Amino acid sequence: MSRTADPAGLGLVRGIEEFLYQEAELADAHQYPEWLALWTPEVLYWVPCNADEIDPAHQVSLIYDDRPRLEERLFRLQTKHAHSQNPRSRLTRTVANVRLRDFDPGRGGVVTSRFHLTEVRLDRLTVWAGRQQHRIERHEGVWRMREKRIYLVNNDSPMGNMTFII
Amino acid sequence: MHQALQFHPSRAHTPDVGALVHAGRVHSAAFTDSGVFDLEIERIFHGTWLYIGHTSEVPQHGDYRTRRMGRQPVLMMRGGDGVVRVLMNRCRHRGGMVCEGDGGNAKHLRCWFHGWVYDAAGNLVQVPGVEAYGPDFDQKAMGLAAPPKVGEYRGFVFASLNPDVPSLDQHLGEAKPVIDLMVDAAPAGAIRVNAGVHKTVYSGNWKLVGMDGYHVHYVHASVIAAWNRNPEAGIAATHRGDPFDDASASRTRDLGNGHVMLDLTAHRMSHYGKFSEMLLRTKGGAQYLQQMQDKHGQERARLLVSLAGDPHVGIYPNLQLINNQIRIINPLAAGHSEVTMFPVLFEGVSDEINALRIRQHESFYGPAGAGSPDDAEIFERVQGGMMAQVNPWIDISRGMHREEHAANGVITGRISDEVTQRGQMRRWRELMCAPENAQGSTGGIAPGGAHCTGPETAQRPAPEAVQ
Repeated sequence: MSRTADPAGLGLVRGIEEFLYQEAELADAHQYPEWLALWTPEVLYWVPCNADEIDPAHQVSLIYDDRPRLEERLFRLQTKHAHSQNPRSRLTRTVANVRLRDFDPGRGGVVTSRFHLTEVRLDRLTVWAGRQQHRIERHEGVWRMREKRIYLVNNDSPMGNMTFII
Repeated sequence: MHQALQFHPSRAHTPDVGALVHAGRVHSAAFTDSGVFDLEIERIFHGTWLYIGHTSEVPQHGDYRTRRMGRQPVLMMRGGDGVVRVLMNRCRHRGGMVCEGDGGNAKHLRCWFHGWVYDAAGNLVQVPGVEAYGPDFDQKAMGLAAPPKVGEYRGFVFASLNPDVPSLDQHLGEAKPVIDLMVDAAPAGAIRVNAGVHKTVYSGNWKLVGMDGYHVHYVHASVIAAWNRNPEAGIAATHRGDPFDDASASRTRDLGNGHVMLDLTAHRMSHYGKFSEMLLRTKGGAQYLQQMQDKHGQERARLLVSLAGDPHVGIYPNLQLINNQIRIINPLAAGHSEVTMFPVLFEGVSDEINALRIRQHESFYGPAGAGSPDDAEIFERVQGGMMAQVNPWIDISRGMHREEHAANGVITGRISDEVTQRGQMRRWRELMCAPENAQGSTGGIAPGGAHCTGPETAQRPAPEAVQ
């Protein structure tokens, strides 16, 4: 599609939104292998703790996974004894406010959005919300994510079990 | 001294707390009863030494951290004189908290109710319209109040709201050399607690955090499965082999005063080779090993390096030093607790070694870790199960017949033995029943208040004898 036919790049945004929605649905459904397949070989799955802007080399995160750590996380969740996900959290999340930042239509770039996630587990309802920032790249002809950063609004508050994919 | 006036609404209904603890079992009311909980706050959390924080959290003049002692808000703050103090977080005028949030830096603390200002040492330095108080107003005496006892050991700051406690030295006792195992693992002989914090909550009693070598194979089965795939992933690196097998060299220890330990020393020493190989692959690792050897000699250096700063000790009642963290346990209600986990960095090592320590911590701990959410999960399940009280006793008798008692009072068992639970509950009973503790601020037990008639029997009584 030519640029004149889509001057605001809405077709591109729509395609990226579709990627984010697919990612959200696979995470909600605990479809770990399918969700993992959305990543590039190199991975940064990062949920900062205590503040949004921290240096992970010197500060603790809630999650700071490269590919080996992420694969271990998903392996563990798929064993029979991941008690804090047995029963699994029932999840439904909405992704909105999708905006492209420094984004090249051919190669990809940074996408920021907001999410609102409702979790129900053992009759307890928990709301999780925040900003998320994806770095998306073309990989073997399709969009893949290389980074996902989640800035929880409550990342400095006491919290319970966040062992599902956020 | 005038007698302090205190109001204890729950006392008339407090059960016989002494009868809740027997040698090998505990009545679940100790975990579920709100009257018992209120008494725990008074007798334990307002009655003995509590860990407040580490001096490295407040390195500069004006740095402060807010903490709680039982129900009472305090702050740990470094004054302009370089002294780290524990101060009650309460304006001397009308009681407003002078600090909010987790911490920060302020040279002055201003209560914004009426503008009273304190300096970082707690002195009252400004009162708007001070002349209205007349000539007898003693501003020097109106600084922020402080707990009657404050002490420090190797940067660990403790305080007690009860003036009638033994010295901190006596309180820590046999736990002091165990604390050293964490601090001396840093080549500079100092730790740094400035890497942030994991704050977790669970719907269960604070005592359930315990110190348990028996649960690992079951609660953490999924983690062990992951460790078996990669013996260097996360804290697998320090748990090579199976330190929680009763056939291992690991031991449970009751150090006295409620301080208990999973002593993994001997087991980890046997894996020094593999662990030091991993360090050698980390930037700064060779230098670290050399520094440790130069400072401590080969034998002690091997011990300290193998343990990686993990004494796996609980300092009763609210502090634990486990793996790469300092952990504070905060009781909120009988069935509601908060655990905060502070990763510990080493002074004098490369950034890469400290980053590795943070990654190891994250792998197991915190709300999204592989381990601590499963701990919280079983604590919640236990809290729910204990509401079934046809037979209200929980059993902590494992390994009672094979305890070893040393001359210094330390009791030792196999790693799955409940030596640790027994040590904590023995201390719980002592503190809950101690008359001097009850006198701490009120001058004696109120009539109809808690009493401790049930002895902690050496022999486990038959169930029918205590129905």
